[in-house]
Formats: sequence, C-alpha cells, structure tokens
Amino acid sequence: MEDDLPTEYDVVVVGTGMTESIVAAAASRIGKKVLHLDSNEYYGGLWATFNFDGLQKWIEDLKTAKNNTRNINVDLEEGEKFLKASDQYSTVENIGETWYISNDADLPDVSWKDTQTESSGDSAAAESAEKTDQDKADKKENVKQWSIDRIKKEYRRFNIDLAPKLLFARGELVELLISSNIARYAEFRAVSRVATYMDGKLTQVPCSRADVFANKTVSVVEKRMLMQLLTSCMEQGADSPEFDGFRDKTFLEYLNTKNLTPIVQHYVVQAIAMATDKTSCRDGVNRTKHFLNSLGRYGNTPFLWPMYGSGELPQCFCRLCAVFGGVYCLKRQLDGVVVNEDKCKAIITGKQRLALEHLVVGQGHLPPEIVASEGENQISRGIFVTDRSIMQGEKESLTLLYYPPEEQGQEPVTLIELGPSTNACPQGLFMVHMTCKRTKNAKEDLAYVVNKFLRAEPLYSTNAVRNLSDSHTQTVSPDKRHLQIDQQEKEESPLEYPLPQVLWSLYLNLPASDIKLSNSAPSNIHLCSGPDLELDFDFAVNQAKSIFESMYPDEDFLPRAPDPEEIVLEGDETPGPKFEGGEPAEGEEKQDVEKAEKEE
Amino acid sequence: MAKTYDYLFKLLLIGDSGVGKTCVLFRFSEDAFNTTFISTIGIDFKIRTIELDGKKIKLQIWDTAGQERFRTITTAYYRGAMGIMLVYDVTNDKSFENIKNWIRNIEENASADVEKMLLGNKCELTDKRQVTKERGEQLAVEYGIKFMETSAKSSINVEEAFYTLARDIKAKMEKKLEASNPPKGGGHQLKASEPQRKPPSWLARCTIL
Repeated sequence: MEDDLPTEYDVVVVGTGMTESIVAAAASRIGKKVLHLDSNEYYGGLWATFNFDGLQKWIEDLKTAKNNTRNINVDLEEGEKFLKASDQYSTVENIGETWYISNDADLPDVSWKDTQTESSGDSAAAESAEKTDQDKADKKENVKQWSIDRIKKEYRRFNIDLAPKLLFARGELVELLISSNIARYAEFRAVSRVATYMDGKLTQVPCSRADVFANKTVSVVEKRMLMQLLTSCMEQGADSPEFDGFRDKTFLEYLNTKNLTPIVQHYVVQAIAMATDKTSCRDGVNRTKHFLNSLGRYGNTPFLWPMYGSGELPQCFCRLCAVFGGVYCLKRQLDGVVVNEDKCKAIITGKQRLALEHLVVGQGHLPPEIVASEGENQISRGIFVTDRSIMQGEKESLTLLYYPPEEQGQEPVTLIELGPSTNACPQGLFMVHMTCKRTKNAKEDLAYVVNKFLRAEPLYSTNAVRNLSDSHTQTVSPDKRHLQIDQQEKEESPLEYPLPQVLWSLYLNLPASDIKLSNSAPSNIHLCSGPDLELDFDFAVNQAKSIFESMYPDEDFLPRAPDPEEIVLEGDETPGPKFEGGEPAEGEEKQDVEKAEKEE
Repeated sequence: MAKTYDYLFKLLLIGDSGVGKTCVLFRFSEDAFNTTFISTIGIDFKIRTIELDGKKIKLQIWDTAGQERFRTITTAYYRGAMGIMLVYDVTNDKSFENIKNWIRNIEENASADVEKMLLGNKCELTDKRQVTKERGEQLAVEYGIKFMETSAKSSINVEEAFYTLARDIKAKMEKKLEASNPPKGGGHQLKASEPQRKPPSWLARCTIL
C-alpha cells in the first residue's frame, strides 16, 4: 500500500511544517493536484507538538542518528541529474533532558496542591468527556507527589511544543484562519497576562481598559502619559514626522526624549514593544503598533494560544488540503530530486518517481547542491514542567513574559507559561517554554532566566524519605524559595511567593530559518523555512504567501472554504438547511462562553 | 443568536478507505446515496439536528477527508470528539481486521471516554460478504462497544446507528451534569464576526483620564 502513490502532481510538498502546510492547502484549494509527504510518522517536523511519550520517542530517534548513506538507483533520462536529499539543515543539537524528581512513586505524603489551578476549576480536557472519574482521581492524586512514573503514566495529558508560538489577535495568521475558514479546525485561548520584571518582581502589564483602571502601580498622570505615547505610535505610524529625527536612532533614544517616568518607559519597551536597547526606533514603533492593533479583539491581551499546542496549526492546513483532494503520506522519505537544467522534474521516494510542476520543500530535506548558505541563526529552547506558576494569581493564567538581557552577551528570552486548561499538562502542573537566539548552547543561554524564575535543582536528595520542607531548608539558601513557607520565612524572604519547582526539563538547539537557496537552484523548487525566532507565525504565513504567488500569480490565496451547508451536490434534490449569513454553523455555544467572558 | 439546539455533539467517522464512510454520512445527513464518490473530496463535515427525549441535539459529523488512506489522520481531527463510528466493509476482510488498528489510533489520540460504535457497512451485498455478523458482534463485545450492520445504499440501520450513539453520549453527559460536574468548554473558535472593540477608540477614551 505504501508504494502505491499516484505518479503525477501539480505540486509535491515535502515536510509538514507551518509554511509547507499553508502552501499545500492553498494549492489544493484552487484545484491543484497536491501530494504532501513527511518522513516522520507525525505532522509538523520541527513545529510539532508531542505528548510526553511522543517526545521521548522523538529524543530517542535523534540519538540514533539516521544513516543516510543508502544507495538509490535512479533511472535518469538524458540531461537529467539526481540530487540526493539531506537532513543536515534540520539538525537538532545539545539535547539535555533532566528529571528533578524521584522515580519512586511512594513519596512522602505531603500536599502541595496548587491553589491556582484548583480554584479556576478549568479542567485540562477541552471536551466534556474525560471528566468525572478522571477529575476525582486527580483530586485524590493531587495530594500525592509527582513522580517520574506518574508523569510518564499521564503522558497523554501533555502537549509539548518544539516551537511554541503565539498569535497576534490581528496578526497575519488569525486573519488567514478566519478568511480561509480554516479557523473551524482549531480552538484558542487568550493569553491572560503579559508580565514584566520590574523592581525585583514580576508584575502584570495593564493591557485592557479595565486593567489600566485597576492598576495601582501607575499614577493617573503616568496613565495619561502612556496613552499619549501609544496613541502617537498607533495613529501616526513609523513614517510620521513625529519620528523624523529618529530614523537611524534606537527606540530607546526616542523614548528618552519623551520625559516618561521609569515605569511607563519600562512598560513600553519591555512589555509592549518587546524591544532591547538596540531596537531601532522604526521597529519599536511598528512593534508597539502591532501590539496595540491586536488589543481588545479577544480576551485581555493581544495574544492567542492554540489549544493543544502550536503543532495543531499546520495540521489544520493539512486537513483543508485533504478536504480539497490533497494526498497525504507520512513516514515517507524524500530520497532526492530529479533535475533537468533549471527545472525540477520529479522526486524519488521509495521506489517511485513522481512527476511534478512545483516542489515545495522544507529545509530539512534539501539537497546540499542547491543550498547557498546554511544560515547563522539558531534557536535555544528550554522546556520546563513546574509545580506552580511563575507569578501568583487568582486563577490559572496563560502568561507571556519578555525578559531582556541582564548583561552583555545575553539574548532576550521569551517565556510562555501554559496551564492545564490549554492541555499542555495535567492539573496541578505548569509548562514553561523559553526561547532565545542561540549564542552558546540552550542551557547556558537560558541559565540567567531559569535561575531567576525557576528552581531547577533536584527536589529530593538520595534520602528520599526526608520530609519536603526539611529537604528545602537544608538544600536551598534562605533567600530562595520554599514549597511551604511558614510565616517567619515569609518575612525574611524578599519574595513572598515561592519559585516554581522544576520537575522535568529539556534543553535543545534548533536551526533558525535563514537558510538560502543558491541562484542556480531550479526555479520551481520552493524552500520553506523552519521555525523562526519571532513570537508569532507571521514569518511562515508571509513566506507561504510569497511561495504561492510565485507558483500561481493569478490565483487567490486561500479563498474562504465553504461551510458544509453551502455545498450542494449535483443531483441533490434536498439541500441541507440554509446557510445563515456570516455565522458558521458550529460553535455557537463557544461563542456564548466567549460573550459571557467579555461581560465579566 | 438564539440557540436552536440543546446539545452539540461532535462525531467522527473512522475506518479504511472505501468502506462507505461518506455514504453512511450522506445517508444520514441528506437521506441520499451517491455511488460516484471515489474518495472523500470536499466533504468536511455534515450537520443534522435530531430530537431525543424532547432535547434538540445537533450532530456535527466529521469525515476523514481521505487522510485515512495512508493512515495519516491528523491528531487535530480527534480533538473534542464525543463519539466515533468505526466503520468496516462486510465484503472486505482487511477493513475488518484493521478496526483493531483504528481503535489503537483512537486510544492514542481521542479523549479517553469517547463513545464508540462499530458498524459493518454494505450489508446488502450478501453475495460478496467476507465478514460474518457474528465476528462483528464478537469484536464489539471484546471492546465493550455497540455494534450494528448497516447499508448506506439500502438505508438499513443508518438512522438507528446514529440515534444509538447520540443517545449514549447524551446519557453519559447528563450523568455528569447530575454529578454537578458540568462539561467545560476548552478554547474558543475564531470568528470573523468578533466584536470589534477598536483600539483607537479604546485609547481615545483612556486619554481623557
């Protein structure tokens, strides 16, 4: 069955990353015959989201490096050349997995229930299913400690992202999902707080109107100051005369002329523009504008997070591609491409030669002959399972924190913290994702932020019977935190709220997306980058758009897919219920929920 | 917008290529049978609202979109599904054998307590039958799920099957409601018609502080 693929296509797409999947959907949508392959048995490549077990397998597979030296016999016609595909441009490096908890399930019976997740009452599963019994079990078990065994046993309740990304509420991807009607395949949660580190502690940046009013850190004068600045960024844009004198200056230099108070300046630079002291004025203004533009559409902040992880989104585009006839085949490797002068004629996969008009290929499958430069940027990633949020709150939060470098040589780190309601992890746990540009390796690059916000030391000494608070007072210096703080310690500690204990961590380095094709590469080969360093998906969406335009300049890019009710089949005498203007048929219930939330 | 139903159930059809999933779906949603489907093209899901015990239940039934052909169903397909129809073809032994693989797939990706049902389709083709009704029943017992033989072509048991699955989901759901553990929504879907609270006006209002 595996070898039984049709042999001629308009477009062959290799790799199921974000860009590849969008292009596949767009081509299929306008009636092109599309084949979409992936050598992995899962979707997404380096954009994938895994459950805990899947992630372990992924790590295992990386260790047993694939031997790509097998000989491939290709029957070539005159003038044709065979270029072997290589996976050298998607190399994952410096993988380090660490457990901070014991394997022994029979740990001291100390309760460390997280009140944050308990009080919210929001449960991990999106569906109504999976509730009653499991919840009861959870509540009982919550009293127990988390052990390695328990985490492994609950592997399905984890969704761990290789490339966690947020969506700006009015960003490219949200608009595309809505206009193409692909939004119906996915669900989202609004990021509930944007945090910033100021005066030695984490505070929530007021984003919504209600937040601004409720905020006691900022004075009325400062509020006005902030609003005036934001309004000028928003309404005038980077080309306005307001910014004339700062064309080649930094955003910070511009702000310094505005006589802002330190708090206001901090909010603007670190939380809204997410800028460093090197960010140009133009970029700073544009980033501020982007942030503000997306405010007020969904939830409290400008950001959305895809339920079950970022890896769901490429799959949504794949689904659309399939609905319009695209053929899908996973676990199917690209062996190489057949090139005749400046055109790619076919690909070789398995024992088959598949003819094509266009080849859209992820960077993990490129033949080295057509690559000009490998790119210099790499991504450092850290993933942490913790026992509480980095920042205290009334209910479970989905938090974004941008943390600028403290010293020379450090890179700004983006931190996304997910709770159980996103299905990232089971009740009682949190998932922290850190991302920055690589300078040394993931662990070293992120160390300054990990040390600031997390307790990444083994929770148990070899003497596992020792009681929890004991082990803390003995192994942690008094200015660090404790899982259970008594009153006295509270007064001594500069921070009232304990640092989250890391139960498990994973560090890794990924290639970033600045690989370039050589000029001599066949013009019908289109390169799709892997995940980039930005917070959102705009890079992938724009890359997909430009690939599609170069393939089919006169065609619409992902026009709205009809709702099922709108499809009337030929000879169908009894059409379904009428399409009700503009309102998709499903999900009214969810909208009700949303409305209710807004009214709060 | 007034809600025109009491419950919304998301159902999936799963099974090998060519067992008649799309035909079963069309028989149920449109009461039509069309043999011209070679594979599933352009059919995303179908909707039919039924009534059970005075409750209006909107069934949103999703088709595999051909992604079952090379076993490449996305994990996203399974999200939020409350019921799954496992379909095989009684004239194709392989499709019956593969049900075990599909169940494994469901266990890996769908919610743990998703309601499942086994359908042996094309039961009108008595001459070509390869899988006896008894084998179907036995497999269903093995997995503790309900079973029916159906014919989308001759309109046998298709209604009954969906009503049965819907009734079981409803019962499970109401049991949970009684246990004062109401199902909670997960995320939200994005809508074009989202309330447009424009930031400029928001800013303007705040500048008059």
